[in-house]
Amino acid sequence: MFVGGAGLLAVAREVQIPLLAVLLIGGCAAKARRALGARSIDAGIGPTGMFPFRLQRPAAIAIVVSEFALGAGLLVTAGRLGAGVPANAVRVATALLFLTAAAVLAELRTRRPDVGCGCFGDVSSTPVGWRTITRAGLLGAAAVASLGVPPLRSLGSPDWLGEALAATAAELALLAVLSPEIGEMMVRLGRAEPCELRRVPVAKTLDRLWASASWRRYQRYLITTTPTDVWREGCWRFAVFPGILSSRRVEVVFAVYMSGRHAPIRAGVIDIDTPPATSPSARYSSLTVYRKSTILKNKINISSNGPG
Amino acid sequence: MTSRGSQSHGGQVRRKAHVCAGCADLAVSGPSTRYARRALLRAAVFDNPVFDGREQELWAHRPPIAANVVTGVLAEVTPRAIVISRPDGERFLALSPSTATWLGAKVSPSALRAGDPVIVRRRAHLLASGSAAADGRPPAESPSASVAERIWARIGRVAGEIMEVRGRELLVDTGQHGREPERVVIAEASLRHVQVRFPRLTPGYLIDVIGTRRDDGCLLAVTPATAQPPYLAAHPPAPPPTDAYSGGPISGAAVWHEPGDERADLLGVGYAALDPETEGEAAAPGDAAHQHEPCARLPYLSLGSAVRVRNECADRAAVLPVTSCSPSARQFCDRCVKCGTSPRARVADLTMAAFVELGGNLEDGCFNATLTLAG
Repeated sequence: MFVGGAGLLAVAREVQIPLLAVLLIGGCAAKARRALGARSIDAGIGPTGMFPFRLQRPAAIAIVVSEFALGAGLLVTAGRLGAGVPANAVRVATALLFLTAAAVLAELRTRRPDVGCGCFGDVSSTPVGWRTITRAGLLGAAAVASLGVPPLRSLGSPDWLGEALAATAAELALLAVLSPEIGEMMVRLGRAEPCELRRVPVAKTLDRLWASASWRRYQRYLITTTPTDVWREGCWRFAVFPGILSSRRVEVVFAVYMSGRHAPIRAGVIDIDTPPATSPSARYSSLTVYRKSTILKNKINISSNGPG
Repeated sequence: MTSRGSQSHGGQVRRKAHVCAGCADLAVSGPSTRYARRALLRAAVFDNPVFDGREQELWAHRPPIAANVVTGVLAEVTPRAIVISRPDGERFLALSPSTATWLGAKVSPSALRAGDPVIVRRRAHLLASGSAAADGRPPAESPSASVAERIWARIGRVAGEIMEVRGRELLVDTGQHGREPERVVIAEASLRHVQVRFPRLTPGYLIDVIGTRRDDGCLLAVTPATAQPPYLAAHPPAPPPTDAYSGGPISGAAVWHEPGDERADLLGVGYAALDPETEGEAAAPGDAAHQHEPCARLPYLSLGSAVRVRNECADRAAVLPVTSCSPSARQFCDRCVKCGTSPRARVADLTMAAFVELGGNLEDGCFNATLTLAG
């Protein structure tokens, strides 16, 4: 049977409500599972990592509670019960949650590029990227699209069911493309070692670094291609190279993520000609301030233009 | 705390392959400024560390200094106060009726003698909230801030593989590179107590005891720090599968170790899973049979990495730098039952100052802990 564009759009709007509810409750359950496993509600670092330490736990609780409340609210108001203003209020709140999340994730990517979003608990440990942000935006748009949808009917005609399933499958496929969690789950199902536990030779890390755009942008400022220090923190390996930038002695630090084919590589520069301070604390502070104000493109990622 | 020289044992000491792969370089370089700079270099890439202002300040004090712990050598003991001699001067601490003193057992402060190395936890307001242990600033100068809460004198600990046994005297390989085996004498009065927890006092098995350091550097063991693992040191249980690692906080036991080459008041943690590729295994390949895997799946880290350690029994937490590797955390697959039963793993091997700062009592040997990567 031929289905018009308007009809398909109406079906697509209808399926957003159960889909969003399932995602919200699923995310809430995944976070709760991790919290129970760790016996700590603020287990794991996601957007809550941007809060001061004393506020991280309340923020984590607020996120979990709001996700559950909105997921349940979407389901409760999907039918005749709560139709109208209550249903739209829940959907507006859902849209606000996802759109706010998109903005927060974009900020998190800038401020904490090393942490995952934590959206689905343990499996959301991949550093936040454009896919995660786009997914949050897409879900926000889905919530907006669900505004004004009339109460859902019980399973209708086979045609309607087919359209609903097709729309759901298409959206799930799109969400899967935008979800780094899928790769993480595949790794876990395949019982492959998480990158934090995997031994990775330094030579392999350096090979990946030397083939990166970030390296090519900074190579001309380096005195040597032999790192003065190499160390590792979980999935990240750091390599430090001495260099000269704007007639000043600097150290260029590269951080290489050791998992995935297109893993991020980030770089930073610190000035080692900064006059020594009187205390380690002051030295730390002065370097931080100096670095922010003076070093060009101190904190870049691959897509930036690099120094100079 | 105490400075121990090398010990011999009738000239028959044999060195075993090192349990802790990668300890070779660490013993030479120690917590050098190179490692201390790693947090700064890391911040050049990942700005805005996870800690809040107080923790960031603590972290900036590299290596961090204990706020509520005083270490040193007793210079004077009076009925109302003690004077502790430190490299930076003398420190006066008042005694109160509630001050607990440990010198092989609970004793009166009058049992202390000038010259005893001590570690003291003083009463501190800043830790009273339960979540502020990460504050690196010294507490406000007030009379109550200088009252000794607990004093441990001459306390020491030896954990490792028994190499030789002669009556009550044991020779124990702690697995630390460059260290001679430790000589342990089990106090006669404590022999039965120790044997209850360590029934196999024979070479090849593990032992972990707490006692007092004698002037000759040997440990007079008075209490067991844990129960003896049932396996031979050379044949530890297989590590758990990798899917046991969730990526989140890791629960287990936090234990403590003596400073050795470290500063006595250093706040730091010995970690069992230092990256073998960058932390010195190449320089000390060792014997593969003795390069044990820790009994919890721990992410690879390096010296200078930051971890958050929470004392679940006292609800205190602190962000600490990794300052050493931990042979005992690789060897011992045991639990802590200080408050509930922890999972079977030593997730943190704290310096004495860090252990005390986090609310642990040294004579207990451990506390239930949760370890999280801090950024």
